[in-house]
Amino acid sequence: MVDASVAKRLVQAIIDNLPEPVPGKRPVHTIGIGVKGEFVASDVARTYCIAEHFKGQPVPVSVRFSNGLGGLEQHDGWSDVRGMATRFHLPDGRGTDLIATTLGEFFVRNVEDFFEFADVAKLEKYERRAWWRKLGDLLQLKVPPRNPYPNETVSVDAGALRYANRHRFAQLGIFQVSLIGAPVSYARASYHAVHTFWVTGSDGARRPVRFSWQPVAGVRNTDPKAVPRDKYLFEELKNRLRRWPARFMLMMTIGEAGDALDDPTKPWPGTRIRVVMGTLTLIKVAEDQEADGERISFNPCRLVPGIEVSADPILEARLGAYEVSREMRGGCPFRWR
Amino acid sequence: MPGDEGLLDRVVDWLPKTLVFKRVASWTLVPLWARLTPVKPLPGGPHLSFQHGDNVQCMMNLIMPLKVKSPIGRAEAALAIAQNKDAIFAGLNNVGTVHFARFVIVGDNICMFSVYDGDFTNYIRDFIATIGSVFNAVVELVEGGDDVIPCEENVEAFIQWVHERDLYQVPDTATDFLRDQEALNGEGAVSGNDDLTLLPRKLVLQLRANANVSLGSGYRAYPGFSVAQVRKQLGLGW
Amino acid sequence: MFDLADLQGNILRGYTKKPHVRYLILEVADPIAARRWLAASVSGRSDGVPQITTGNWGANRPDTCFNIGLTYEGLRALGTPSASLEMFPNEFVEGMTARAWKLGDVGPSAPENWPAPFNEPKRIHLIATIYAENVEQLDEIQERALTDGRALRLLAIREGCSFPDDVVHFGYRDNITQPRFEGVHDPERYPDKQPRAPLGTVLLGHPTNLEGLKWRVPLPAALGHNGTFNAFRVLEQDVAGFEKYLDRAASDLLEHPQVEELLPHGAEEKIGKGLSRRAALREIVAANLCGRWRDGTPLALSADAPDPKADLTDFDYVGESRCPYGAHIRRCNPRGGQIVQRVANNSRRLVRRGVPYGPAYDPAKPGDRDEPKRGLLGNFIGASLGAQFEAMSCDWLNLGLQDPRITGSNDPIAGANDAGTSWFDLPLKSGGSIRLRGLPQFVRTRGGAYTFLPSLSAIRFLGSPTI
Repeated sequence: MVDASVAKRLVQAIIDNLPEPVPGKRPVHTIGIGVKGEFVASDVARTYCIAEHFKGQPVPVSVRFSNGLGGLEQHDGWSDVRGMATRFHLPDGRGTDLIATTLGEFFVRNVEDFFEFADVAKLEKYERRAWWRKLGDLLQLKVPPRNPYPNETVSVDAGALRYANRHRFAQLGIFQVSLIGAPVSYARASYHAVHTFWVTGSDGARRPVRFSWQPVAGVRNTDPKAVPRDKYLFEELKNRLRRWPARFMLMMTIGEAGDALDDPTKPWPGTRIRVVMGTLTLIKVAEDQEADGERISFNPCRLVPGIEVSADPILEARLGAYEVSREMRGGCPFRWR
Repeated sequence: MPGDEGLLDRVVDWLPKTLVFKRVASWTLVPLWARLTPVKPLPGGPHLSFQHGDNVQCMMNLIMPLKVKSPIGRAEAALAIAQNKDAIFAGLNNVGTVHFARFVIVGDNICMFSVYDGDFTNYIRDFIATIGSVFNAVVELVEGGDDVIPCEENVEAFIQWVHERDLYQVPDTATDFLRDQEALNGEGAVSGNDDLTLLPRKLVLQLRANANVSLGSGYRAYPGFSVAQVRKQLGLGW
Repeated sequence: MFDLADLQGNILRGYTKKPHVRYLILEVADPIAARRWLAASVSGRSDGVPQITTGNWGANRPDTCFNIGLTYEGLRALGTPSASLEMFPNEFVEGMTARAWKLGDVGPSAPENWPAPFNEPKRIHLIATIYAENVEQLDEIQERALTDGRALRLLAIREGCSFPDDVVHFGYRDNITQPRFEGVHDPERYPDKQPRAPLGTVLLGHPTNLEGLKWRVPLPAALGHNGTFNAFRVLEQDVAGFEKYLDRAASDLLEHPQVEELLPHGAEEKIGKGLSRRAALREIVAANLCGRWRDGTPLALSADAPDPKADLTDFDYVGESRCPYGAHIRRCNPRGGQIVQRVANNSRRLVRRGVPYGPAYDPAKPGDRDEPKRGLLGNFIGASLGAQFEAMSCDWLNLGLQDPRITGSNDPIAGANDAGTSWFDLPLKSGGSIRLRGLPQFVRTRGGAYTFLPSLSAIRFLGSPTI
């Protein structure tokens, strides 16, 4: 385990880069909404993974969707990473989590990278680029940086770009963040668990895998040219679920020898075997948002027999960092199985 | 004030979306930058990989300009395929590694698109051995084809000829496209001074050098399985 | 008919009576002197440069054998005209290191990790091979080969020595089957269920196994005709790791519910005298991974136990063959058995010449950290590297494309296995199978080169003062 002081420093580095700290709340993914639903594993899931929630019986779940931005300001319409944290409530009272975001690949490989990133990609003043510099970009066949959103005064974009130019491993993640956009609904985005996990099948075979949630309703972003709205995602989800449940397919990609097993910056190609592990049906927005959203302390390493963490150093670091963050805001403690 | 949203600013935001700007840039900026920062065309075919998933369901995308650029030339190509239906099925069954093959006429080109398992040269070589006559009938109608037919007697040259016409497969991720360019230029794997904002220009210039490309490496519904695995699992024999 | 005296002798002969083999890896120092050296090697004079051993020994068996292969860089360095160079096939021009991904030379086998001289492939121009009965003879021939220091510069040597009874490092009997050729071998003398291979399998300018297909012969004919290509490989073998894996697999199998089907109680004795159940299971695993028992008995003929009476080559994988689909010898040469690429049956055959290097593994002292390096110096000879050696390597050895039951797995012995994902199915009599997992990589490539084995006419052509 990454030692506690490193975990503290990680969380502190994130907090230090916030416009203003929000005591008692998550430092990033601060704004979120808890939803109740049910997960039913596919008929083949158990052959690949013997974990309880893949056995086929319906499993109640709590999901928290969130905007990646840290702080209490809500900017649903800004281009931003979205989170989908899922807690499976198993029959024996235990829980297991799957934490995913709309970002397919992470931008740092390990804790050291992260500290350097936090150092380089600080919040900086963000201004509209002068017209003559934009013109210069066009003449060089470059795309000028986006205009700031209304009320947006600071951003990490410039620092992140500097970091990416310095480190090729970071380029994919940072490039994807720059194009990620805003979903029209939390139920209309794909969410990726990014890290590699090892699953054990009914025949005892262990396989390296990566998980993604794919929305049955399809992926759809807002028009990037339109003026972004600040608050619509919660209301949209409430209305959607009042009418009809929203569903996600859980897809599991199986890695091969030679694939990056412990590096979340490296994608796996689309040529890897992909298995349908089950369907998540979201039924309603939780009435008690405090209990069924804000107070749930998710942890990507909260696993049950049948799934194990890989040697991914970021995954390992998240175990401790999520706990530190949980302690700081007084959330429910991590319970070992 | 440069930071304000003034008229000029709005004009510059609007400008790149206009057809006029795109046309003018295509005539002026693109050739200029192509001169200043020359780009080599990236090689066609699947990316070299040792991994299993990458070596089944590989794509071949050939666009071959017809010698006779008229309805007559196109009809000749249509006939060449139609007349060889039996041979094509026999080849498909005996070579056993082709998921599907399609012939398409686009403009005055005959295109052959296929999805196959295993190594490209083995795939073409096996087809030369079984239905070389079909290749000959098609390639005979194509510009530059005379040099490599009959394919049975020009095996190495024929395979190379096909490979050279196989479209570049733009990777699924933009950064892999950059890595392809770096590899082609023999640049090292690590760098401290990239400029990611040059990506759009690099793409434009590559598409100038390589006018026809395949976008992405293909989107597969059941990746990782060979023809024979699918046939076996479905109980169709292989 | 063609003249055996125009061929280098190692193409059709194994020189099996000469256990000591030395490879001289050479760089052309001066093209004119090197060409003179080539001319001298076929001059018929017995004092200077060693004479190339041909396919026709006449009445007297030579005491030592001497053969050469040239890389593309070597042909260039000698000043071969570009019109001729352009006619050589791509894979040979690019060289073995450029084809690494096709050959499974990735990860620990990748050319970037090869030691000298293979880390500078462009400097490897000529590989000379000496076969002899003893080391003194090797030294003498080497000295004669290198007397003229202006011609060739010695970059490195690699040396091996056959073990008694053709046993190789993993403990199997090897060097059993070679293709027999139409017009060369008498089918009566060599019982073999495989059809005799057309000469074009191993010589340029002759019909190949693929109907109507001919490989390009580099011109002039004197250069290309009767030449062939060789994939020279330095393959390091992890014998300790192999034996350790057999231990582990046997332990796992002892716990397996179907082990009785694999080895009925009381049948241990048939596998080998005095073997424990565990030791017998080790041998069963070893036999299945290879497709032969360690004594060479093919599983295709005797799947339950080694049989000294079984013919070693006279078999095919038709009908209910109990040789695993993924077994090493079946993957490399599926013979007439059902394969996906029907048209490729018998078309990717290779002449194999291998010799072990390094001391034999001592099972009494297993698992020592400082195990000496050992492996195989292998030559894989065929008229088309692309259609034979590479086709076999990438589609069959590595991808397992030939049979849907093995697709996605590597060769259990020679493949670039990763213990995290590798698997191998042990067939059971009932038709089911037991899946073994966790096979590590047993063989690592430590060097190699694609060479052209010129005919005697070609050596004379290349040896002329002006090519």
